[in-house]
Amino acid sequence: MREFTLKSTITYKVYRQMILQFEDFLTTIGDIVIYAKEVISLILKREINWKEVLEQCARFGISSLPITLSIVGMSSVIVAMQVAGEMVKQGAGNYVGMLVALLIVREDGIIMSGFAIISMIGSSIASEIATMRVTEQVDAIKVLKVNPIRYLFVPRVLSGVLMMPPVLVVASVVGIVGGGIASHLASGLSYRAYFESVWHGLFMKDMNVALLKAVVFGFTIALISCVCGYTAKGGARGVGEATTKAVVWAFVGIVLWDLLFSIIFFF
Amino acid sequence: MGIEVKNLIKRFDEKTVIDNISFKVDSGEILAIVGFSGSGKSTVLKLICGLLEKDSGGIKTSGDIAMVFQYSALIDSLNVADNISFALRERKDLRKKYTDVQIRNIVREKLALVGLSGVENKFPSELSGGMQKRVSFARAIVTEPNIILYDEPTAGLDPVSSTLIENYIVSLKEETHAASIVVTHQMSTIMRTADKIIMLYNGKVVFTGTPQDLMRQDTPYTKQFVTASLEGPMKMLQG
Repeated sequence: MREFTLKSTITYKVYRQMILQFEDFLTTIGDIVIYAKEVISLILKREINWKEVLEQCARFGISSLPITLSIVGMSSVIVAMQVAGEMVKQGAGNYVGMLVALLIVREDGIIMSGFAIISMIGSSIASEIATMRVTEQVDAIKVLKVNPIRYLFVPRVLSGVLMMPPVLVVASVVGIVGGGIASHLASGLSYRAYFESVWHGLFMKDMNVALLKAVVFGFTIALISCVCGYTAKGGARGVGEATTKAVVWAFVGIVLWDLLFSIIFFF
Repeated sequence: MGIEVKNLIKRFDEKTVIDNISFKVDSGEILAIVGFSGSGKSTVLKLICGLLEKDSGGIKTSGDIAMVFQYSALIDSLNVADNISFALRERKDLRKKYTDVQIRNIVREKLALVGLSGVENKFPSELSGGMQKRVSFARAIVTEPNIILYDEPTAGLDPVSSTLIENYIVSLKEETHAASIVVTHQMSTIMRTADKIIMLYNGKVVFTGTPQDLMRQDTPYTKQFVTASLEGPMKMLQG
């Protein structure tokens, strides 16, 4: 007969798993804060490898653009198709452009761009750095007395900060134009009425807040992806876990920032 | 002076993996750290080069430390030239010291030293295991280190490539006069490269001597190691 021990009970294993998860949660928050501080300090000291920044910018901006534009464009088309007909019927056709534009600029554009960039770029940053970690490439960098945070984190975080605003601008333009076309096709709303409504509905504050959000989101996505990759343990499984963790944490991170921005600027 | 380790202790959680070991390696000398897998050999190297923090004891080193990793650890997004020149371009105290032309010349010179001229533009994935290892040698010596650490330098290589690598270890010692530590359990590497040997078992030093002392099999430990016997004082974890 098998010997009964506390450690063999399911309750013990469940509690132990919960404690480990909570411990990991706190450690990750701590890591994010510590590395954020180090990255900002290096940027302020101009410890920047600009060649690497340019390479990462191309990856962050150009590689992610097709998927970002598709997602933002399609989501604005869906919104416009669903609301334009009803609003025109109710005599509110002059507000369709404003509604779509506000939705894209304040919320949809940035969140959808964020999700697209996390899926494409964040996951690839996390898996790349995690692979470097488990194959001792990060150790080699350290032994060569090169600061791995300067070499790996700074260019990626900086490219996130620099590229997220232009990606957002392009995605928003595509989204607004796509919404106009969809409104016209769905309800016969004229392009002139639509774009006049856009023009009257958008304020500088909306655009400034959106750009600020883009900078913060870019920083958050790149930093979390780097941290999750850098703290990976084990072999192939560790790389997979780090990538999943980066995606989940970056999603949660940008939604939390979004909530905070809404409370600060629009509440 | 090269490396001096005194009463070194390292624990992971409650397990003591390095248990009060001491040794000294002078400039121009190669120490082989031998022992079965899991005896703590690689941990010693990681402690010396600062990848791990010691719990107690002393590690004294003089000058730059370089390390050749077991699986080469070349940065796979960089080509051979960029891998070799990585420290020269990225290290704070070196990055403004050399011009691009000087760096190109240094890379060419180090590649020639390991017999790999003309592969500057290849990526690590395009090289064989033995070639990757030689590139990692070139990367290690680019900063003219005073100490070179080799972690299983011949593991996984065919006998001819192993001999080539062992010859490079000896010739690098002669050219650089660096103090070197070779972690290995391959007899050919021990016999061809080492000036002296320490054997680890469960984190403790169980034998100190020369390759000739090892081959004499005077102690139960050396006898078991040299004859690769399952019988003896060193118990392996068995599945």
